[in-house]
Amino acid sequence: MTDPALESVDDFAQRARAWVVDHLPERGDDSLSEHELQALLFDAGFAGIAMPREYGGAGLTLRHQQAFYDRAAQGHRVPTVFSVSIAILGVTLLDAGDEVLKKRHLPRILRGDERWIQLLSEPSGGSDMAAALSRLDRDDDGWILNGAKMWSTAAMSADWGMCLARTDFTVPKHAGLTMVAVPLKNTPGVTIQPIRHANGVEADFCQEFFDDVRIPADHVIGEVNEGWKVSKILIAHERLAAGGAAHGYGLTARSEGGGGARTADPAVLVEVARRRRSTVGLRQRIADAYIERRVSKFANERIATGIRIGALEPGWGSIVKLHMGMNSPRESKIALAVHGCDGVVWDGDEPVAGNAGEDWVISRGPALGGGSNEMQRNLLSERLLGLPREPARDVDTPFAESLRQRSRDT
Amino acid sequence: MRFELSDEQELFRQTVRRFLETEAPLSTIREKWYLSTGFDKNWWQRAAGLGWTSLMVSEADGGGCLSGLPACDAAILAEEIGRSCGPGPFLPVSVAAFAISAYGSAEQRSALLPGIVDGTSTATWGLAEAGDAWTVDDLDTTVAADGEDVVVRGRKLYVEAANAVDWVLVTGTSSRGITQVVVPAGTPGMTVQAGRSVDLVRRFGTVTLDDVRLPATAVVGEIGCAAEAVERQLELALLLQCAQANGAVGELFDRTVDYAKYRYAFGRPIGAYQALKHRFADMLQRLEFARAIADSAALAFDRAHVCADGSAEAHELARIAKAYVFDAGLDIIDDCVQINGGIGVTWEHDAHVFSRRVALDRALYGAPELHKDALVDELGLVAR
Repeated sequence: MTDPALESVDDFAQRARAWVVDHLPERGDDSLSEHELQALLFDAGFAGIAMPREYGGAGLTLRHQQAFYDRAAQGHRVPTVFSVSIAILGVTLLDAGDEVLKKRHLPRILRGDERWIQLLSEPSGGSDMAAALSRLDRDDDGWILNGAKMWSTAAMSADWGMCLARTDFTVPKHAGLTMVAVPLKNTPGVTIQPIRHANGVEADFCQEFFDDVRIPADHVIGEVNEGWKVSKILIAHERLAAGGAAHGYGLTARSEGGGGARTADPAVLVEVARRRRSTVGLRQRIADAYIERRVSKFANERIATGIRIGALEPGWGSIVKLHMGMNSPRESKIALAVHGCDGVVWDGDEPVAGNAGEDWVISRGPALGGGSNEMQRNLLSERLLGLPREPARDVDTPFAESLRQRSRDT
Repeated sequence: MRFELSDEQELFRQTVRRFLETEAPLSTIREKWYLSTGFDKNWWQRAAGLGWTSLMVSEADGGGCLSGLPACDAAILAEEIGRSCGPGPFLPVSVAAFAISAYGSAEQRSALLPGIVDGTSTATWGLAEAGDAWTVDDLDTTVAADGEDVVVRGRKLYVEAANAVDWVLVTGTSSRGITQVVVPAGTPGMTVQAGRSVDLVRRFGTVTLDDVRLPATAVVGEIGCAAEAVERQLELALLLQCAQANGAVGELFDRTVDYAKYRYAFGRPIGAYQALKHRFADMLQRLEFARAIADSAALAFDRAHVCADGSAEAHELARIAKAYVFDAGLDIIDDCVQINGGIGVTWEHDAHVFSRRVALDRALYGAPELHKDALVDELGLVAR
């Protein structure tokens, strides 16, 4: 299967280890920024390990990449904030973009000099992305973008967005969409606002407004009116990333990053329970919380391995996602029970973030973001179990007609 | 979905499946309900001929597994037995054989294991006592040294295939600690009260040991030193139960998904309704997690006991697997019965056959509640 001309995974891991020991700071050493760290990797040829050389990658395989994160990088700090930019947007650009876009952006994405995000969901609909209302209208040789996007992670610090917008309202919804690259920094007409979470904290995701934003013609990714095809590629990469088989980041980096609220951490639950006068009714629930986290570690690793070696199709990543979405509120309820009054009442005149009560009010987040539990269930039952697809009323109707129908219905 | 099987393991799995489908098909299980032993001894010898009873016996004792990871191989077999709710004392024989091979004297190994390996003899393990007691520190059965002999007194309950086996591995206490002895069937003072279980083909019994006098050579390992052996036996029993349950639950799940594709109501297959699709997705998630933890527990057992690496993890994962697999398994079966509709609660439909097996193994070797309680203790929250 592997190209004999390629460096063996073991040789690569040894070479990488020697470099890591000399160059990467140890874990816990914060002397370098994430960007500096990523640039260091790129300049040494360890960013985009499985990406082609002509775009700044190392031209190796995902196995090499995994060896880097699992073996070579052990005990050392690796950057973690570029996973979306590289493993989802960068790879989508690689698959769908033309040479001009790839040559211009991929090396900068891999070096961390440019951060990309996706601009798919809108305030009017999160799950039904093909019903996007944002529009691109022709303007001389380019386009004018108007509309709003929502739930975009880390948009405040992003440089570019991959934006799905409508270029033709006279055809059915999937046929009139186009994907464009939108510069987000210092661009006239672009407004980015953070969304405030239910716990009062300004979240990592944002809402973006586009008012007459000029988009040059060469910013179109793929073909005009074939944006849905590009977004399917994007979503497939997102799913791979969720399953831990993404470009750019190894499994270790991911599985350490995942997990629920600290107040529901089983070690915390045990600690808190020991301080209680009574643990009546709590012991089995603490065991349940502990068991779910332990089992998910093994299940997630196994599914990620299966996807990576090609034994499982990427749709299996939805099992991991669905569990995360179900377990977050479930264990948060257990945390409420175990922390009891001390989780919801405290001394002092200041709001406190991060107690069991505040964690509880945002615990549905993982059940909604990145594809709701219901979307994962549709996907699992249709793609993996082969059950009939949900009927959609609007797939053959010109989108403008669907909109008219919608206003008649409501 | 197992995707990491070697070619050899895959071949073994297919051989087991074919053997069960032709020589003990699920369609005949209702007839076996009327047999007193639930399995045919000639059939068991043919199964042994395929390697069923060799896996947990070391090569030096005439056994051997496929991959060097005996519990992983045995789990493949257990899963297939679960798929067809196969008969036979695979679990207790495997545990008893493992105990003798790993901890028995040279005499015990050469006297007891050849018959196990070729299937001419069978064995079981007597651990639990009255009151659903599966905890080792809580045993009333005693083994007392008396000159050249030992005297065993106690009552062992829920002993699988007790009425059919040639010898019973009995776990008791002595003044020096946990002790295990081999009690041959028919030893004076030993009586077996035959019993049944909710499973159609697995028989049980109560073994009463009324001052049973045995030569001291019947003790497995040193007197008082069996705590570790018992712990490992329990881990093995738990992980085989889990693999078997996953086989049974997975089979019923697959059949139910198929049924939902072809059963029509109101002009659509019932599997087209989101109310059912979403339940299937939830079931699939738990089934996959159950498979992952059962496989991980088997691998941890082999790592700990073949490679001497991480016995604490093996211990914990066996408990976690038992709790997760059976909580999930019963819920999945319950949902599948509902989706199969009225036919799902008839004698003719196989749903109850799978359901029976899982309900039985849920209780044996400690229910999820027991293992969760122990887990919480081990996490440092001691019950008070």
